[in-house]
Amino acid sequence: MTKLLKLEYYKNLNYRPFKVFTILYFAILIVFLFIGLIDFDLFGEPVNLKEQGIYNFPEIWNFTTWIVALLKIFLGLIIVFSICQEFSDRMFKQNTIDGLSRKEFIGSKLLTISIFTIVSTVVVFAITMFLGYRYSNTTESAKVFEEIFFVGNYFLKLFTFFCFLMFLSILLRKSIFVFLAFFVFWIGESILSGIEVFTKIRGLQGAQRNEVLQNDFFISHLLPLESMSNLIPNPMARLNMAKMMGIKYEFHYPTESLIACLVWCSIFIFGSYWILKKRDW
Amino acid sequence: MEKILSVKNLTKKFKRIVVNNISFDVEKGNVYGLLGPNGSGKSTTFGMLLSTINPTSGDWYWFGKKGTDSETLKKIGAIIEQPNFYPYLSAEVNLKIVAEIKGTPFQRIDEVLSIVGLLERKKDTFKTFSLGMKQRLAIASAMLNNPEVLILDEPTNGLDPEGIIQIREIINNIAKQGITIIIASHLLDEIEKICSHVIVLKEGNSIYCGRVDEMTNSHGYFELKADNKTALIQTLEEIHWFSSIDSEGDTIKAHIREDASVSASTLNQKLAEKGIFLSHLVKKKLSLESQFLELVKNTN
Repeated sequence: MTKLLKLEYYKNLNYRPFKVFTILYFAILIVFLFIGLIDFDLFGEPVNLKEQGIYNFPEIWNFTTWIVALLKIFLGLIIVFSICQEFSDRMFKQNTIDGLSRKEFIGSKLLTISIFTIVSTVVVFAITMFLGYRYSNTTESAKVFEEIFFVGNYFLKLFTFFCFLMFLSILLRKSIFVFLAFFVFWIGESILSGIEVFTKIRGLQGAQRNEVLQNDFFISHLLPLESMSNLIPNPMARLNMAKMMGIKYEFHYPTESLIACLVWCSIFIFGSYWILKKRDW
Repeated sequence: MEKILSVKNLTKKFKRIVVNNISFDVEKGNVYGLLGPNGSGKSTTFGMLLSTINPTSGDWYWFGKKGTDSETLKKIGAIIEQPNFYPYLSAEVNLKIVAEIKGTPFQRIDEVLSIVGLLERKKDTFKTFSLGMKQRLAIASAMLNNPEVLILDEPTNGLDPEGIIQIREIINNIAKQGITIIIASHLLDEIEKICSHVIVLKEGNSIYCGRVDEMTNSHGYFELKADNKTALIQTLEEIHWFSSIDSEGDTIKAHIREDASVSASTLNQKLAEKGIFLSHLVKKKLSLESQFLELVKNTN
């Protein structure tokens, strides 16, 4: 464990994209968390997200984790670059010859992923706590901890996302192909889930349609990107603005997405290992 | 002799057969040359023995243990095709990574860097190194864990004459320490200067494995000159010591028969008795190149 940690430390410490994106990520992350404190114009009307209640317990957990999760691509870039670099410089082959096993290689990359995910989660947790206690209407502990599970979901969402990128990087070995494949996958998944939704609600009206959308089981929700995004639903319906417009916010804990993410994680990790084992280097 | 490596019926098929059923043994303390033209399967063989390529069939034993695991690899130092290091890291940090993988203490780093003459450059990043320095760093890296076997794939590829000499000296010094070395090259004069044993590959088949000087039965040949060339050729044919007699310009090349043993002085004496006086007499051994060519020709 310490050996793998030291390896990753030496490999990444002086790697420029690594430093640049890590600093960029944490800087933007902190800025994003404080986004509710600034006023900005939306359709000519000033909007202040704090006034809209994004810093109120328990909604704050939903808002902060959702907003910050948008930034995960920065960390994703680091992971893709640092893994692809191992292949383009033929270092995976050299590491293997020097005596690093495939398991240890995957282990070292998972370690980096875990550290990033943990640090990001801890930062989000700490800043959310700070913002909540400072700006929330209520700070009674029942409210504070009511939706704290979003922090756990955030952790899993990031971890699954990075495992997915690790898998693509090991499969394709060139960062440009990884990004292309990722977008193709993204679009493909959207099309699939679009088709499924369309076939289910075809011919249905109003309330009936909402009933299906809310309660039916969608297979496409189990796809990797979809299940990741279901872990933290879009919180816009929880804005005061939306409440005033009468949009009802309903939330079911996404158990099936949680399980799907765990399954995808193990598929990506074992898939990566299998590719490393089977391929000739 | 203790066997370091024993390869049995190793085969690798990509789209075509690249390594075909090769078997050979490597004994402790010798320097082996793995010979073969480009594309004869040298690098693929090394790849399989170093666990980066999955074999189609066959077995091998390192130090009597089947296959190649991480523990085995820690007793081997290897350089394959080109020096691979993280270009943005210094020589020192690159070697720290290798030391970490192999479980070697960091103080070895300065030792191996001074062996290859790169100690002053240890803080410089790898990408600023010349090809010769990169190759020497690769040797330093392979030497880091005091390996029992050193595998070198084309270590002098692309180097200038000075670089080649440096690498050769380093390898010779390593060989003197009793480390077994397996070195692949298509540069035969290179191998000839370094190796005591050879393994010859041809189109994926191993056609010879043994001492360099026992590669062919040849006893060598004489280069001869005399004023009366025709008489010389005639006399040489009469004494039946030679398998073939070629004339190249003024010089006559007489190849000694496989079952004969002739020294230069005996030949000189014999010819003098026959009334032929030489103006030039040299006994030569076949170069590795001609032996190799002969071997490859014979197995056609």
